[in-house]
Amino acid sequence: MTNEVITAQHVTCLGCGCACDDLDIVVRDGRITEARRACALGMEWFGDGVVPMEIRSAGQSVPLDRALADAAAMLTGARRVLVYLAPDISCDAQRTAIAIADKLHAVVDSVSSTTVAAGILAAQRRGRVAATFTEVRNRADLLVYWAVDPAQRYPRFRERYGEGAESPLLAAGRSIIAVDVGNRRGPDSAAERVAFAGTDETRAIRALRAHVAGRALGDAAGDVMTRAVQLADRIASAHYPVIVYDAEPEEDEPAPARAESLTALAQELNARGRCSLCALRGGGNRGGAEAVLTWQTGYPMTVDFSRGVPRYRPDDTATTLLRRGDVDVLLCVGNPSAMRGVESGGVRRIVIGPRASATTPAADVAVDTGVAGIHAGGLAFRMDDVPLPLRPPLSGPLDPATVLASLAALVRA
Amino acid sequence: MSQLRISGGAVYDPANGVDGDVRDICIADGRIVASLPDGAPRLDARGMVVMPGGIDMHAHIASSSVNQGRRLLPEEHTVDAAPAPALVEGEARSGTGGTIPSTFTTGYRYAGLGYTTVFDAAVAAAGARDTHAQLDDTPVIDAGFFVLMGNDAYLLRQIAAGERDRARDYAAWLLGATGAYAIKVVNPGGVEGWKRNVREVQSLDDPAPANGVTPRAILETLADAAHVLHLPHPVHIHCNNLGLPGNVATTLESMRALTGRPAHFTHLQFHAYAGEKGKAWASGATQIAEYVNAHPEVTGDVGQVMFGDATTVTADGAVEYLLHASSGRKWVNVDVELETGCGIVPYAYRDRAAIASLQWVVGLELFLLSTDPWRMALSTDHPNGGTFMSYPELIRLLMDRAYRDERLKGINQKLLAGTALADGLAREYTLGEIAIITRAGPARQLGLVRKGHLGVGADADLTIYSRNANIAEMFATPRYVLKDGVLVVEEGQLRRAPTGRRLHVRPGYDDAVTRDLERWFDRYGTVSFANYPVAGVRDTPIQASAISR
Repeated sequence: MTNEVITAQHVTCLGCGCACDDLDIVVRDGRITEARRACALGMEWFGDGVVPMEIRSAGQSVPLDRALADAAAMLTGARRVLVYLAPDISCDAQRTAIAIADKLHAVVDSVSSTTVAAGILAAQRRGRVAATFTEVRNRADLLVYWAVDPAQRYPRFRERYGEGAESPLLAAGRSIIAVDVGNRRGPDSAAERVAFAGTDETRAIRALRAHVAGRALGDAAGDVMTRAVQLADRIASAHYPVIVYDAEPEEDEPAPARAESLTALAQELNARGRCSLCALRGGGNRGGAEAVLTWQTGYPMTVDFSRGVPRYRPDDTATTLLRRGDVDVLLCVGNPSAMRGVESGGVRRIVIGPRASATTPAADVAVDTGVAGIHAGGLAFRMDDVPLPLRPPLSGPLDPATVLASLAALVRA
Repeated sequence: MSQLRISGGAVYDPANGVDGDVRDICIADGRIVASLPDGAPRLDARGMVVMPGGIDMHAHIASSSVNQGRRLLPEEHTVDAAPAPALVEGEARSGTGGTIPSTFTTGYRYAGLGYTTVFDAAVAAAGARDTHAQLDDTPVIDAGFFVLMGNDAYLLRQIAAGERDRARDYAAWLLGATGAYAIKVVNPGGVEGWKRNVREVQSLDDPAPANGVTPRAILETLADAAHVLHLPHPVHIHCNNLGLPGNVATTLESMRALTGRPAHFTHLQFHAYAGEKGKAWASGATQIAEYVNAHPEVTGDVGQVMFGDATTVTADGAVEYLLHASSGRKWVNVDVELETGCGIVPYAYRDRAAIASLQWVVGLELFLLSTDPWRMALSTDHPNGGTFMSYPELIRLLMDRAYRDERLKGINQKLLAGTALADGLAREYTLGEIAIITRAGPARQLGLVRKGHLGVGADADLTIYSRNANIAEMFATPRYVLKDGVLVVEEGQLRRAPTGRRLHVRPGYDDAVTRDLERWFDRYGTVSFANYPVAGVRDTPIQASAISR
């Protein structure tokens, strides 16, 4: 082993949806020793870059071709297959995984159906108003953090795209408003602050919208109304306000109406002024799964090929199908930890992705691969849908796109 | 060596002066050759019509915006599921249709119509990687795209500083960095204006929308850049004030601003309305057609409106807000990377509606009043005026006056009094002229020397039709389609779906621009400069030297 030190530059981090692409990754003796400019999430994401490299079938270590033959036999003989697009793979791998689902007349789903389904369906009803991050950096003279402090789950958002990112185009500076909803607080550093009880949120947004549209305010209680009106006027007075919210909040917080009501508010604000809504999203190229599914099938999640054509089944998510026992073989592509907590008892499982061999109980077939952006290249999407290249600083583990292409050639419809 | 002789068909190859003559077309290794040995395989085309493969020079099929549109329309996809075609070679994919089909279905359906080359007309530079990935999943067709520059902040800054050489270097760099084919301008300055909430462009000299840079300066700079760089296609312009009554004045002003310079004005139907704001709309098609007829440096495509469902998807965000506000339909807006915009609203053109009926008439007038078909290409600005699947119906409207007049009677007449079409336009396009506006003309406008004709050395992209009294049926179901000499459609069925080529350019530039851009990306950007260019664009760039005008 040599002591060679390699520094990879402009590396894209998929630790969260920020997809910061300015990292320098230092590699010594095949291990990552430093991730310059990475936040805590990014450090954790890269780790030392060492991943298991096992290939197992029926509990035994086997060569890759044997594992793929076993997987192909299982898929070909299945009654109904679920292909699950887990995080940490590139669009290139996602493309092939969906091709396999199409060929097998399987169901394909991704993490989106559990994390952002309400937002996706709202956008399909109403549309959306958004801005990519270079617009936010240079144009947003007001950032409204709605029930989120990005510091926790999107650590470099503010530094790279928000108030920490200077822009010569914002000579008059930038204002920050924190909107606290229940115990979901905006950033402590915000100079302005508004609070609503969790139970008042929907009414408050409705009142904001009504005020912006010049309509009667509806049923918001007096003090909620007063705060809503003041906030609405404040937002409307900015040149280019951007409302930032967490589109994938922790599971303990049920706010399915938030995405839709904020979308409606942001759209209304464009009648006279401008406004964009920024939806914070998690990492691992989960937006890529939606993009590729959409261009290949027309739908962003939960697609059923069982009749030989893509059908949209947003109610029959992976979780639902597994719980009901509607599928007998699961092909999980990507990092299987995303499926933790999903019941899959009685279902035969094939996992192709990073740390596939580490699932408990063990998968019937497990092929460890590299991680997108650490060991595997290709294309990934930032949370604002801007596509970025992946520059893996390490090599060695299998590329999931290549493994899936081999599997695709073996499966029979 | 694969060979095929297409024998006995009536050949329409206007670029080579062939107008329905019965002759053989010889193909070897994907190209047209002068002759083949007698024993070469033969495809009997007797009684059939043979044309070069169709070329759609302005459509929206593969971009971040298009994919936003797909995502917005599950209700359309649900009612137009598309099973995988039964190919004899290779694996086919299922998909969905509607106004914005999935990528595989887009490729199959274009091929099924006899179209073998398609350009996406509006790609944000920052999203070019997305476009390439979508095109990688769009089979059969050769494809390229036009990259949006008319509201790009770096470009506007160079123009404001009088640095037009630097602006040209930037344009050249951006074309190569994104793997694009041509320069696109959408509502010059007006998209930047929309982001700054300056919603109207008063004139070509209005400095307000783009903070001091006029639409005229943007048009001149980019028209000159395309010319000086010897790009195969001149600057491709979507004028200011799309869709507004009275905009014919803006369009003519834009054309005059570029007098003597080659320029392509796109979806002219949407820019050819007389009348004025708040008053009745009227057709301005005659004025546009007269100008184009008299100015050989100008080319255009029509952007015909077809009755039925459409989806409006454009970089022109302000227009889409207006459409959303007036129609009440759902609406997407995305402001993109200090580069451009994106607006989407699903829409339906109804023949009972006065404005849609006028739009239909304006488009047909542009076709019928243009005296030089080489300079007025067929388009519906898919999926904005209608989808590419409506091209056969549009061709019938152009070729069959009786059908057209009958159709005209059935639409809303409110705004049609005094229009040239209502007064009676007798012209009927010939098959040769259709071959020009769907093949030879676009190829010439795009500078594609190996396409749009059947001369020796051309790509063997061909469409073979069975004659049919119903022209729409004839064009909807080609009997055979060949792509690079491969039979992709046989007996009306898609049988093969090879991978198409990527059409792109890589002009030279003074490298000093990249050092300046690096600083620009640091100060304004959110993507590393090193990560911005798209690496490994497939196929060799089209060389400027290979282009004859």
